[in-house]
Amino acid sequence: MIDRVVLLVRLAIRNLLASPINLLIGGLILLGTMIFVLLGGMLDSLNQAMQRSVVGSLAGHLQIYSAASKDELALFGQMGNFPDLPAINDFPKIQDALSKVDNVKVVVPMGISAALITSGNIVDTTLEKLRNLYKARDGQAVLPPNAVAPRGFDPKLEGVPKEELERRIASEISHVRQIIKVLRGDVEKAMADMISAKSVEPRNVEALARVETEAFWADFEREPYANLEFLENRIAPIVTDTSLVFLRYVGTDLDKFQKSFDRMRVVKGTPVPQGQRGFLIADLMHEDQMKLKTARRLDKLKDARANGRLIATDDELKRFVKENRHQTRELVLQLDGIKTAALVTSLQGALGSKETGIDVLLSQLLDTTDENFDTRYQQFYELVVPQVQLYRVKVGDMLTIKAFTKSGYIQNVNVKVYGTFAFTGLEKSPLAGATSLMDLMSFRELFGYLTSDKAEELKEIQRDTGAKTVSRENAEAELFGEGADEVIAEATPGIIDPDAALAGTGRKLREEDLIRRVYTQQQLDDGVVLHAAVMLEDPGKLDETIAKIQQAAKDQNLGIQVVSWQKASGLLGQIINVFRALLFVAVGIIFIAAMLIMYLSVLMATLQRTQMFGTMRAIGAQRGMILSMVLIESLVLGVIFGGLGMVAGSGVLALIASKGIAAPNDVMYFFFSGPRLIPQLSTWPLVVAMVIILVVTIGSTLLPALMAMRVSPLRAMQADE
Amino acid sequence: MNAIVTIQDVVKEYSLGATVVQALRGVNLTVDKGEFISIAGPSGSGKTTLLNLIGCVDTATRGLVEVAGKNTAHMSERELTNLRLNTIGFIFQSFNLVSVLTVFQNVEFPLLLQNKLNAKDRKARVEGLLDQVGLLSHQKHRPNELSGGQRQRVAIARALVTDPLIVLADEPTANLDSETGQAILDLMKSLNQKKGTTFIFSTHDHRVMRYANAVVRIADGKVQGRETPQDAVAHEMELGLDPQKPAVAARAS
Repeated sequence: MIDRVVLLVRLAIRNLLASPINLLIGGLILLGTMIFVLLGGMLDSLNQAMQRSVVGSLAGHLQIYSAASKDELALFGQMGNFPDLPAINDFPKIQDALSKVDNVKVVVPMGISAALITSGNIVDTTLEKLRNLYKARDGQAVLPPNAVAPRGFDPKLEGVPKEELERRIASEISHVRQIIKVLRGDVEKAMADMISAKSVEPRNVEALARVETEAFWADFEREPYANLEFLENRIAPIVTDTSLVFLRYVGTDLDKFQKSFDRMRVVKGTPVPQGQRGFLIADLMHEDQMKLKTARRLDKLKDARANGRLIATDDELKRFVKENRHQTRELVLQLDGIKTAALVTSLQGALGSKETGIDVLLSQLLDTTDENFDTRYQQFYELVVPQVQLYRVKVGDMLTIKAFTKSGYIQNVNVKVYGTFAFTGLEKSPLAGATSLMDLMSFRELFGYLTSDKAEELKEIQRDTGAKTVSRENAEAELFGEGADEVIAEATPGIIDPDAALAGTGRKLREEDLIRRVYTQQQLDDGVVLHAAVMLEDPGKLDETIAKIQQAAKDQNLGIQVVSWQKASGLLGQIINVFRALLFVAVGIIFIAAMLIMYLSVLMATLQRTQMFGTMRAIGAQRGMILSMVLIESLVLGVIFGGLGMVAGSGVLALIASKGIAAPNDVMYFFFSGPRLIPQLSTWPLVVAMVIILVVTIGSTLLPALMAMRVSPLRAMQADE
Repeated sequence: MNAIVTIQDVVKEYSLGATVVQALRGVNLTVDKGEFISIAGPSGSGKTTLLNLIGCVDTATRGLVEVAGKNTAHMSERELTNLRLNTIGFIFQSFNLVSVLTVFQNVEFPLLLQNKLNAKDRKARVEGLLDQVGLLSHQKHRPNELSGGQRQRVAIARALVTDPLIVLADEPTANLDSETGQAILDLMKSLNQKKGTTFIFSTHDHRVMRYANAVVRIADGKVQGRETPQDAVAHEMELGLDPQKPAVAARAS
């Protein structure tokens, strides 16, 4: 038997060598296999890297969400839209059911959303500071016992000596005058241009002209409050300092999140204390959107230079320097009189300049070249940064987040920013760094879902008032129909003014109480979530676990659907499938060409060799022998060249892996799950390539082989010519 | 009974489109074991058809064909193939060696198909036969490195390697010059005498006929009778065929 196979293989090899076209076919098979193994391996590594990114940054291995959802869950956004997910009301039940499913490690509740947050405009905040200083000077800062604190009450100013207050007032006034100067400059610049001149409102020009006069400021000393009002009403609106930040966040059980997503680490500040309310900003977001633009550009320059790029030759870096030199406005607006004076002196010393204008000095400082960059970078952080606010939102700040609740009114919550966080390896990825984290309680409150403490409060009120629950269907009958004489509740309008009751200290106390409040795990679990991440013990059994969860959901009527991380990541997860489809198309074309050529050549070879087949049949070869002879011929061709292609593909892959592929830009950090992708040879491209080769060779040869098989032994008796 | 081939009332019809051509019209023939017999006749007379039936590469439309005691009429394709493999050796007019195999491998091929002997025994058998045909030193050569006579000797070795009861040779010397042809016939004859293998060959050539024990003359699909080689040659002369140009005559067929 073995001898016969050896004979067949030997025959095959010799027959193959006899025809040069086999080299072309072999070459195509080699090329196709090589590309397939190489790109397949790379795609696979990319897929794994992306899986690490997606799974490790937000999605978990699986995501569950309401079965009633019309939208598909897209954690990284779907064309900029957010999925409208119906709430999952009974999370504890689901958590309980899922944790009983094999292979499920932990279920992390979540709710994804986004909000625009604003940090107050610079004039507003400066004017408020000034007003508080005047109030403190005029003795209003000392709060009588039990009194309601007025808006803007600043306890830090209590006990500050009057001279110091006067000094600060003077500094703030010079700050306001500096802002006015900048605004005046803006208006003049706008007026100089025909088109933009039309957008300048005459009443703004008039107002600016008025506040620039010495007379205005002389009057300011006498009548600070009235004049402050003028500034607030007429000047502040001119500043188009729209510092809107689009903030994507996930409301989640922060402790669980941190434990389950182990790549997460806190960069600045601290984690939110266990069970408490709080907010963690994605560090990249914090750096990119909330940091002073000048500082951010300097950071990027530093990074780029560390990677070997030069300001002298790199257009992007040149642009950064140019923007830094010209856009000092952002810095100047922040500087009050005292700071300006201090900075002018220190900058003059550092730069050896005699300039007195702060904007000119800053421009000089920021005119960085490859030679002076490191010094200037250090000078900026040592001299300028201490005088300005480096981040618009700092660790420790209260962040006000507004959102439309499900029922359509605007709700806002204040949450304390405890820190920033990043995922190891994904520090620079805009995709991983786009989503911040909020505690689950604040999230539920923000969206008008009942939190456990509010539910209790409600119950209490219900008990106290004797109110009874009226179902929606019966509401009309119950309230206005027969037998509605019973008084359910009597309301006296105007007795309680909730705003007044909660103004000032009351509001503040409630806020502080909320910040300090520690929620139990049960309180965190009880309540609405929008979706949840499911972490698995063995990610290899993903599909199995999906099936099991689906079964459990069906059996226990959980009303949820479950999707893999890939599906949950929306379009992003599909990218890899698109790549893979493209690879299959490209390789498909190569193999189809190989198949066609192979078919024709085997057909030709068969027709040329009918006498040989006839002879073999006459001598005593069975039909099956002829069939396998022709098939083995093609198989040998496919296996040899396919094997070579696999070796070549694996070799190139190993070569690439020895260096890794550097992420060409920050976006790719996410796909590479770090700065470099180290492609690894995986089995499936080899297996699939083998299957493709078998299909191609056998597919193209079967017909000619069947023809060869049917050659009659009579053919041996006929003369060749 | 000493008959190794028995043919009775055999009719072989071919259909060419709508018309039916009768290649054999009631042939009767008996060949005994150990005979060295020639089938002679002009081209189109049916001698190749008769040879095909004896060689079991074709079956009769009607009548009895018995080879080595087996009626081929009721045999399957597979059984016929096995019968050929184990009972019959073939020598072809144009040698029909497998060009990509060496001399040794060509001769070994039927043994591999039989799958009865181990490698060592196969080697001994093949080398023994190559020795007999005088080509032992050429066993590593490819067919295209050999002369026509050498190739036909390889073919003879291949035909005999399985120790068949019958060797069929279809105009074995037609593609060879007369000297080589004679050498081949001498070889066949000596093997016939040494081993007692039955040889049945078709030919035009009266010089070839002379080697035979008997000549079966066939014309128009019918056996005209058995003759001695001398009578057959005389018969050929009568028919006016030029005995000096046998090869040309064969080519014209």
